[in-house]
Amino acid sequence: MKDYKYIGTDVTRIDALEKISGAAIYGDDIDFGANLLHAELVQSTMAHAIIKSIDISEALKVKGVYKIFTGKDFPYKFGLYMKDRYIFAQDKVRFVGEQIAAVIAFSPGAAKRAAELVKVEYEALPAVLDQMEALKDDTALLHPELADYPHVPWFFPKPGTNIAHWRKTRKGDLDKGFSEADFILEDTYQVPRYAHCAIETHVAVGKFDHSGRLTVWSSSQSPHTQRHLFAEALGLSHKDVRVIAPHVGGGFGGKAGVTMEIIPAALATKLKGYAVKLRYSREQEFINTYQRLGVVAKIKMGVKKDGTITALDHKIYWDAGAYVEYGANVVNAVGLSAIGPYRIHNVSIDSVCVYTNLPPGGAYRGFGYSEMLFGLESHITRIANELGLDQIEFRRKNAIKAGDLTAYGAKMNPNGLIECIDKVQQAIEWGKKPSSNDPTKVIGQGFSLFWKAPAMPPNASSSAFLKFNEDATINLIISGMDIGQGYQTVMAQIAAEILSVPPGKIRVETPDTDRNPYEWQTVASHITWSSGNAVKKAALDAREQILSLINRVYHYPIDELYLEDEAVKCQTDPAFLLPLKNFVVDGIMTRDGTFKGGPINARGMFMPEFSSTNGDPETSQGGHPNVHYTVGAAALNLEIDRETGKMRVLKAALAIDAGKALNPDLVRGQITGGLLQGLATVLYEDMRYNDKGKLLNPNFTDYKIPTSMDVPDEIIPIIVEVPQPDGPFGARGIGEHTMLPAAPMIANAVEDALGIRIKEMPITAEKVALAVLNKDKQ
Amino acid sequence: MKELILKVNNELRSVYVESNEILLDVLREKLGIKSPKCGCERGDCGACTVLLDGKAVRSCLVLAVEAEGHSITTVEGISAEKLSALQESFIQFNSFQCGYCAPGIILAVTELLEKHPKPSLEEIKESIAGNLCRCTGYTPIFDAIMDLTKGDK
Amino acid sequence: MSLAHEFTYERPKTVDEVLLLKRQFGSKAFILAGGTDLIVNIKEGMLTPDLLIDIKEVAELKKLSLNGEMLFIGASISFDELIDRSEVQSYFPMLHDACKTVASHGVRTRATVIGNICSAVPSLDSAPALLCHDAIVHCASFDAKRDIPIREWFLAPRKTALQDIEIVTGISIPKVPESAGIYVKLGRYGGEDLAQAGWGIMLSRDLQYRIAHCALGPVPKRAAKIEALLDGNELSDSLIAEAIKLIPEEISPITDIRSSKEYRTHVSGVMLKRGLYAARDRLHGKKVDAAKLLGGIA
Repeated sequence: MKDYKYIGTDVTRIDALEKISGAAIYGDDIDFGANLLHAELVQSTMAHAIIKSIDISEALKVKGVYKIFTGKDFPYKFGLYMKDRYIFAQDKVRFVGEQIAAVIAFSPGAAKRAAELVKVEYEALPAVLDQMEALKDDTALLHPELADYPHVPWFFPKPGTNIAHWRKTRKGDLDKGFSEADFILEDTYQVPRYAHCAIETHVAVGKFDHSGRLTVWSSSQSPHTQRHLFAEALGLSHKDVRVIAPHVGGGFGGKAGVTMEIIPAALATKLKGYAVKLRYSREQEFINTYQRLGVVAKIKMGVKKDGTITALDHKIYWDAGAYVEYGANVVNAVGLSAIGPYRIHNVSIDSVCVYTNLPPGGAYRGFGYSEMLFGLESHITRIANELGLDQIEFRRKNAIKAGDLTAYGAKMNPNGLIECIDKVQQAIEWGKKPSSNDPTKVIGQGFSLFWKAPAMPPNASSSAFLKFNEDATINLIISGMDIGQGYQTVMAQIAAEILSVPPGKIRVETPDTDRNPYEWQTVASHITWSSGNAVKKAALDAREQILSLINRVYHYPIDELYLEDEAVKCQTDPAFLLPLKNFVVDGIMTRDGTFKGGPINARGMFMPEFSSTNGDPETSQGGHPNVHYTVGAAALNLEIDRETGKMRVLKAALAIDAGKALNPDLVRGQITGGLLQGLATVLYEDMRYNDKGKLLNPNFTDYKIPTSMDVPDEIIPIIVEVPQPDGPFGARGIGEHTMLPAAPMIANAVEDALGIRIKEMPITAEKVALAVLNKDKQ
Repeated sequence: MKELILKVNNELRSVYVESNEILLDVLREKLGIKSPKCGCERGDCGACTVLLDGKAVRSCLVLAVEAEGHSITTVEGISAEKLSALQESFIQFNSFQCGYCAPGIILAVTELLEKHPKPSLEEIKESIAGNLCRCTGYTPIFDAIMDLTKGDK
Repeated sequence: MSLAHEFTYERPKTVDEVLLLKRQFGSKAFILAGGTDLIVNIKEGMLTPDLLIDIKEVAELKKLSLNGEMLFIGASISFDELIDRSEVQSYFPMLHDACKTVASHGVRTRATVIGNICSAVPSLDSAPALLCHDAIVHCASFDAKRDIPIREWFLAPRKTALQDIEIVTGISIPKVPESAGIYVKLGRYGGEDLAQAGWGIMLSRDLQYRIAHCALGPVPKRAAKIEALLDGNELSDSLIAEAIKLIPEEISPITDIRSSKEYRTHVSGVMLKRGLYAARDRLHGKKVDAAKLLGGIA
C-alpha cells in the first residue's frame, strides 16, 4: 500500500477551533440589522380539506404586523424530482401542519400572536392516513392532477390512483426460482415514520434587494439545489439568486432539497429591501419538514436446503405523505436495491410510493434502506433458523461479490463484505453469548448485513476551486456541506496530500453559490467520493500549474519534479528546493527582472459519466442507476429483562468497507453516532399520529432521542478497506450506512434471547414485555 | 423597557429588556453572544445551556430579568484567553460533529469538573444527560473527558 | 425573542411583599421560582399571567434545614440543592432517588420541589416520597397561614388544595425512624422521562410498610390496601405475590402515548416486588441503585 502523509491519518478537524470556541456561525446566528422581519406560519389543522376562506382581518390589527400572505400570492409549484408541492396551500390542504399563510411582523412575538388570529374555514375531505388504505379503489384521491405534474424520467406515476411512483425491478424467473426452493418464507414487516431531530431546527432568511437580487441564507445540505429550485419556482435567473449556507447544526437528510426555505425566499420577493426570517420551532420541525417514510414490506423468499437463495419477491409499500417530490426517490432507490447485499438470480421488487395525508416524506439518513433492511435481514435470520443453518454462514454463502449482477443487471463493485462479516463475527465472539447471573435477564445475539448506494441523478456533479495565498496557504472553495461528518477536513486532506500543504493550512469555508462552484447536494453519502474526486482534480490542476511553471523557469523535466513539505523538489537535483510560498502568488523572478507565473488558481470537476437511468420501466434492466454500493456487517449482544422488557446493548460491533478511510477517526465517529441513531429508531423512537392525522409527539418530551444515558456499553468500530476504483484514494461514502443494521440486529437478538419475533418497529420494552407475557400464557 | 446590568463572561453589560424577554434571546440578539443555541425552547435539549453563578441552566427557561445580579458564563467566556484543557480534549477526540450542541456540553462538563475533578463515567453521563447530541453517539465525548481527567493529568 | 405574552415582573425580598402581591393579583399572579414549568407554560400559551413574582431573593423561602426529625424545604430550593445534601440521601433515600429522576441536571439546578408539587401532574416524581413521609405543605396568604397534609394536597390532575391568594412557603418532611425507602420509576429509556409509573416503597425495622405511587391514576396516592396486607409481615415471594394481586385495586392507569394501561399494570407488579426487596436491602445497609432496578436502558 502506498504511503500517504495525510490520507488515512486522524488529521484534526479543520473546523474544530470554530466549533469548540463558540465562534462557528449557524443560520440563526447571522445579524440582519433593523430591516429584519419575522415570518410565522398559519398551518393547517386538518389532514385533508378544502380551504373555504381565510380571514386575516383580526391578525392584521396586531401591533407590529406588517403584512400577511396566503397561497394566492404565490401560485407556484415546486419540487426536486416531481413538482407536486406549492409554496403555500392553494385550494386544498393535504396534511396537518401544511403552511396556509405567513404573517410578517417586526418581532417574532407579534407574528406569533397574529398567526393565531388568522381564521381558516375548511371543508373536510376524507383523510387517508395509511398507505394500504390509500391503495384501495374507493379511497379519496389526494392528487387528482397527478398526470400533469412534471417529474424526472425515472418516475412512473399512476394517475387516477394515489400511487405517485412505482419502481418495478424484475430479474430471472420468479416462478422457477420458487419452484426450485425447498423452503419458502413469506411475511410482512412494518416500520413507522421517524424524525431527523437535528438539534438545530430549520432556519432561513430571504432578502430581495432593490436591484432585484434574491439572497437566501439557509441551514441547508443543498445550497445549489436550493438556488436552482428557487430560481425555477420564482421565475428568476440563477445569476440573481444567491444561497449562502453557514454551518449546519445537523442534517441527517432533513435539510436536503428544499422544504421550508422556499417560504422566506418567496416572501422576500414581495418584501423588497427587507430581510425576512423563518425559524422553525421544534414543533414545526416535527410536523412540517421531511420525515422518514413509513413502510409495509411483504417479503417472500425461497431457499434451497443447502442455503442457496433461489427467489425473492419483495413488495414495499411506502407511506410517502402528502407531497413526494423528494420522497419518491427514496422509494425508487430501494426499489432498485431491495435484494440487499445478496446474489439472487430470480427477483421481483415492487416499490410503491403512496400518497397519504401525512407530512411529506423525504431523505433521512439511510434513504429507505433502513426500512427495507429491517424486513429483509429479519427474514434472512428467520430462514436460516428454520433451515437449521448458521445465520452468518447463510449470509456468507449468498453474499454479493464483485462482478455479481445486481437486481437491475449492473455489476457489483469490488467490496469487502466477506471481510466485514468475518471481522464482526470475531469481534462479537459470535456463538459465545455471555450469560447473566440474574435469572430475570436473558441475552441474545443479533446479526445483520447492510448495503446502500448513493441515490442520485446520473449527472449529479461536484466541482472545486483551489487558490493559493501569498504564504502558500490554500483556500479550497467547494460547495458540499460539513453537516458534522468532517467533509471540510477530509477535502483538505485530499488537497494536502497532493500539494504537500498541511490540512491545517487549508481553509474550507461554508459555501455561497455566487462564489463557490457547483455541487449537487450533500446527500447520499456521495460527497467524499464525488466532491473528493473534484478536489483531487483541482489539486492536480494546481500541481500541474506549479510544475509547469518550474519547468518553464528552471527547465527541469516535469516528471522529475515533485512536491514535498510545501516546496517543489527535483528527483535528479537534490539541491533544488523552492518553497511554494516564494512564488504561488507572486510568480518567479527571472534574471532579467521579469516575473513568470502568477497566482495559482485551480479547478476540478467530477461527474459519473457511466451512470444512467435508462432502465426498462417494467424491469429496471439496462441502466446503471447506482454508481456503487458501500457494504458492511454488524452484530450485537443484547441483554433483556424478561419481566420489564427493558433492553441494554452490552456490546456492538460494526464493520464497514470504506474503500479507503481518509480519516479513520471520523469514520469511527460515524459508526458510534450512526449506530446509536439506528438503535434509537428500533428501541424507542417513532412518530405517533392520531386518527385525524395529528402528530401526538412533536417534542423531545415524547419523541425520545438518545441521551448520554442510552449508549451501548461497548462499541467496536471496524474499518475494512477494499478500494473503490473510481474513488479518491479508493474512498467511498460511509455516513448513512452506520445506522442501517441496527433495527434488524435488535429484532434478531430479541428472537435469539426470547424466541419471540417482533415484526413491527419500534421494538420497545413494552412490546417485548407484553409479548413475553403472552408467550408465557400460551 | 428596563435597563439591566448583566455580568456576562466577567464583563458588566448594560441592556434594555422587557420583563418577558428570555435570557437566551437577550444574550444572542442584544448582546451578540451567539454560542448558546436554541434547539427546543422548552428545556429538553440543553443547547442553550449557560452557567449561572457556575451552575448549568437552560437559558431558554430563564427570564433575562431574573439574571440581574448573577454571573453568566458562556463558551465565549471560557475561550476568552485560550481554549480550556477540556476544549482541547474535545478537539483531540472529535467529541463533536455538527458542533451545535458543543457549547452547551462544554459548559455542562465545565461545571462537572469544578465539582468532581475526577468524575466517574456514570457522573460524566449524568452531567450531560440533558444535553442532546444527535451526531456523535456521545462515546467520543466520554472519551475526551475520561482522558482529560485520568490519573496522570 | 420575547415571549408572545406580556406580563410584569417583581422580585420582592420578603414573604409579606409576596403575599401582598398575591392578594392583589390572585390567580393572575404566578410564583416564579425555577421557572422550568412556568416559562414553558407561558411560551405555549397555557398560562397568561399578569404578574410573575420571583421569590428567589426571599430569604425565608431559601431555607433548607434538617432540625432533628424534620426536613424543611423552602419554596425556592432546587432539586439540585436537595440532591447535594448528604442528609437527604441518608435519611430520605426515596426522596433522593426521586429528585435524581426529575428531568436532567441543567433543569434541576432551577426546578424546585415546591414547584413540582404545585404543578400537580399525575407523574409527579417527588409525590410518592412526600406521601410516604406524610409531609406537611405550609401555605400562607396575606391574612393567614395553614398547613395541609400532603395526602390532602392533590385534588385532581394539575389541581391542588392551594387557594388563588395563597403561596406555598415550604414543606416539612418528617423522618421515618429505622426505615429505608426507594423510588422506582418506569421511563421509556435511560434519559430523562416523565414517569409512566412510579412507586415509592418504604419499610421499617418493625415491619411497617409505606407505599405510594404516581402516574398510575389522576393523582399520586398511598396504596393503603397493599400496606395493610404487608404490615407486620416479613417479605416473601408469596406475600409479595398477594400484594401484586391488589395492585389493580390501588391504581387506575390510562393508556396514552407514553405507555399502555396493560404495561403500566404489569410493570407495577415488577416494581413492587423489586422495590420491596431493594428497600429491605437498603434497610440492611446494602447499596441499591434505584435507576438500575428495572434492568436495561430502553
